[in-house]
Amino acid sequence: MAILEVDDLRKEYGGFTAVDGSSFAIERGEVFGVVGPNGAGKTTTLKMLAGLIEPTAGTAVVAGHTPGDPEMARRLGFLPEESPLYEEMTATDYLEFFADLYDVPRTVARDRIDRTLERLDLEHRDRRLGNMSKGMKRKVAIARALVNDPDVLIFDEPASGLDPLTTNYIIEFTQELSDEGKTIVFSAHNLFHVESVCDRIIIMNDGRIVARGTIDAIRKAHGGTEYHVYATVDAGNGAPIDDEFRHVVADMAGVESVRETVERDGGRITDIQTETPTLEDIFLEVASESRENSESRKNNEGRNGAERDGRDGDESGRSDSDEDTAEART
Amino acid sequence: MSDERERDTRSGAARLRGVLARTTRIARWEVFRSTGTVDRKTALVLVGLLLTVGIVGISVADEGLGLEDELYVMAVDEDSQYHDVAVESDSFRVIGLEDLEITDDGEDANADVVVTQRGQIGHVGPNGAVAYDAFRDAVKEYNERRLSQEANQTAAYPVLVDLEYRDRDLGGATADGSGTDTDESETGDDSTTDGNGGSETTDGTGDDSGTGTEDSSDDDGGTTDGTSGTGDGSLQVPDVGSGAVEDASGTPGSISPPFPFQSLLLAFLFVVPMNFVIQAYGSTIMDERIKRRGELLLVSPASSREIVAGKTLPYLAALVAIAVAITVAVGGGPLSVAAAIPIALLFLAATFVGAMLARSYKELTFVTVTISVFLTTYTFIPAVFTDVTPIALISPLTLIVMDLQGETVRLGEYLFSTGPFLASAGICFLLGLGVYREEDMFAQKAIPVKVIDALASRLHGYRSVPILSMLFIPFVFTAQLLAVALLFAVPETFALPMIFVLAAAIEEFAKSIHVYAGFARSKFESSLRIAVLLGVLSGVGFFVGEKLTHVAQFVGLPELTVGVAAFGPALSSDPLLLLALFFAPLVLHVVTAVISALGASRGQNAYAVAFVIATLVHAAYNLGVIALVA
Repeated sequence: MAILEVDDLRKEYGGFTAVDGSSFAIERGEVFGVVGPNGAGKTTTLKMLAGLIEPTAGTAVVAGHTPGDPEMARRLGFLPEESPLYEEMTATDYLEFFADLYDVPRTVARDRIDRTLERLDLEHRDRRLGNMSKGMKRKVAIARALVNDPDVLIFDEPASGLDPLTTNYIIEFTQELSDEGKTIVFSAHNLFHVESVCDRIIIMNDGRIVARGTIDAIRKAHGGTEYHVYATVDAGNGAPIDDEFRHVVADMAGVESVRETVERDGGRITDIQTETPTLEDIFLEVASESRENSESRKNNEGRNGAERDGRDGDESGRSDSDEDTAEART
Repeated sequence: MSDERERDTRSGAARLRGVLARTTRIARWEVFRSTGTVDRKTALVLVGLLLTVGIVGISVADEGLGLEDELYVMAVDEDSQYHDVAVESDSFRVIGLEDLEITDDGEDANADVVVTQRGQIGHVGPNGAVAYDAFRDAVKEYNERRLSQEANQTAAYPVLVDLEYRDRDLGGATADGSGTDTDESETGDDSTTDGNGGSETTDGTGDDSGTGTEDSSDDDGGTTDGTSGTGDGSLQVPDVGSGAVEDASGTPGSISPPFPFQSLLLAFLFVVPMNFVIQAYGSTIMDERIKRRGELLLVSPASSREIVAGKTLPYLAALVAIAVAITVAVGGGPLSVAAAIPIALLFLAATFVGAMLARSYKELTFVTVTISVFLTTYTFIPAVFTDVTPIALISPLTLIVMDLQGETVRLGEYLFSTGPFLASAGICFLLGLGVYREEDMFAQKAIPVKVIDALASRLHGYRSVPILSMLFIPFVFTAQLLAVALLFAVPETFALPMIFVLAAAIEEFAKSIHVYAGFARSKFESSLRIAVLLGVLSGVGFFVGEKLTHVAQFVGLPELTVGVAAFGPALSSDPLLLLALFFAPLVLHVVTAVISALGASRGQNAYAVAFVIATLVHAAYNLGVIALVA
């Protein structure tokens, strides 16, 4: 059963649509990635899930509660991209205050804070936050997101701007949390991190979800593994056989077909390599396609704009396009 | 059914407990956090500084500044009659003649004024002339003191002048049978003494009084000539604070206007700390925004209302504590504290909304300084006229002045004075809360855009429109009171046209700005039908709310000519006219609100044009009604 359900979530700022009808569901214990270029609508989506931003339309239900419900806030841990702390407080005071605000009993809170800080390897917990390094501050912010022992964690760029050592530490910690059964919504620009921790992802662009599914499924949908077949062919005029050709095929049947053709012509296969696109390759491809679609749609809308009511036409245009995208990608 | 109700009650009580608990936690944390921003040494220095200022302030209030204490030196023998004068004067230090040292050329000495053994007075050195003048004043004061201590007062003061302050007849309205004296008259009692000083002969002709209308108003049953301050149905301003004139009789030299200087100065002490506390309060709100700290509080189970209440409470508590301390120090009563709290609340509320709108600390500084200057002026200036005009009651500081003077304050006066402050504070907090959300807190939007956002956030369906129109009444009232106060001293030729247009513009703005916000933020469909509907709703809501301004009648404000221009004339006794005048404003408000709403539905420029038209229609109506009633 889904612990987090999002249905046709939309956010508009004046005439600008930041999130355009997102729908997805996340199962309990899943690590769900949200990726996309800057301005794609990732952070707005996460903030709507956290109850920070009120959606213009659509719903988000977290553990059976809607944003704005204090009970939902208790079941959720949110780590924003920037987590400015109250620098005049010590880590312990800061975390105890938030535990208090989440109605965590004092003894439970102290025990939980101690264990979390220990796991995060955070020393100097009685030092003022203002005197801590960026990595230490980020660890305190993560500890704060966990202080209420939430069912669902929303991590927005958890390792942004940190050194590789701390970054690895945080990614490993995220995996540990996942192993413990926490549901995590994870957003990062570093797609290697996304690939290493996420079970499923959505790729967003221009406020829309342009791809979704497991990373393997998305990879398959975007060409998947490619076979590069290298062959040499006798020209038949006594010339040395030194020209090498490369054939790119999608599967082993394609490889066989190439082999037959090459051998029929008197050539031979010299090498077969497999090329698997990284998430980054897919992301760039999807983003580029999405941008082209978006521009094309805008041009069409511009042409048709005079013939129909602006507002109604706009909405119906988006809706159709969204369905097409979903069908093509999912 | 009863089980359900009981369950509801229990869950309601639990919710309330939760709200209070979270608010208290945030308040405690705010205290803890903000004390963490100041290190111990600085805190000690600050406490020391505050104590010093407090002690010095109280001492100055009690004894004066003492800048001239022992400023001059006087050489005089103990036997001289001037010796005691110099000793009793704070300005002089006395030395004996035997200690006097004068230079050979006689140009300088170790004394400024010298009284020779033969009683001749002279001055020496560069300060001599000034010291001599000061000594002359000291002699006068000394003589006054001696005369006042004289057993035979008639012998001491052969001429007495009784002062009675009269209400001013403003605007030339006729007072039926009363108030023929339009200037401040002095009713003189010329008394001739018989050597014993026991009896007085009242002749009413005393040409040695020189000024004023003479009148036999003494104990022989003489009649007054209508000088009572309570004219029967006239447009005379009711007596406010006239009892404050402590010495209504005295020597001619002691005659002074009814200016409650000392009480006013002490009352001002209540406002001073508010100007400092709002700086700290504004900063803490700004920190939540600029440093994005507030984001994490917003995702917590605490609502924005609880967060704001929690962050505000410590500052309000501090201001109340300071008000209590000042009250105790200056000898005020509970009324002083009760009057100071609405001022403190408005200071905080205005700062809160300002800090929510400011985009940087620089802007915040501008906002807090503006609030300080505006609210301090708004509270202080009217209080200057505590003993002169009911306009003074637009400021709760006037209540403090009255309390310090030992005057009683009626409940109506208290509500009139503090009501607009409390209501305005409530509205400011409400508007600030409207933008206490991620989308506005951390965005660099222009102030007008945020104001529109704040208003739009309060619109939940059509019913919000009349409610907001009603809620804006305190602002309208305060703004109109301010306009009246500002134009009070301006010649009526200029003041009246200005007040007609200003009052109309203020009301039209209050009726339409939220409607515009609703259209601008797509809360309402921009159609003719909806615009008319919203205009009607706003007009009706405003009409209902406007009736609340009739509280102005309690203190007689509409009896001033500018008051009439702002709040409308007193209603006629003709029932038909009365009915028409009662419902005519409803028609007016609906018509003008519809005009503005139609403009608002078409965008910013159309709204501006429609607003001007609505204002002119409104001003013309006011003028017409006043002409009709007159």
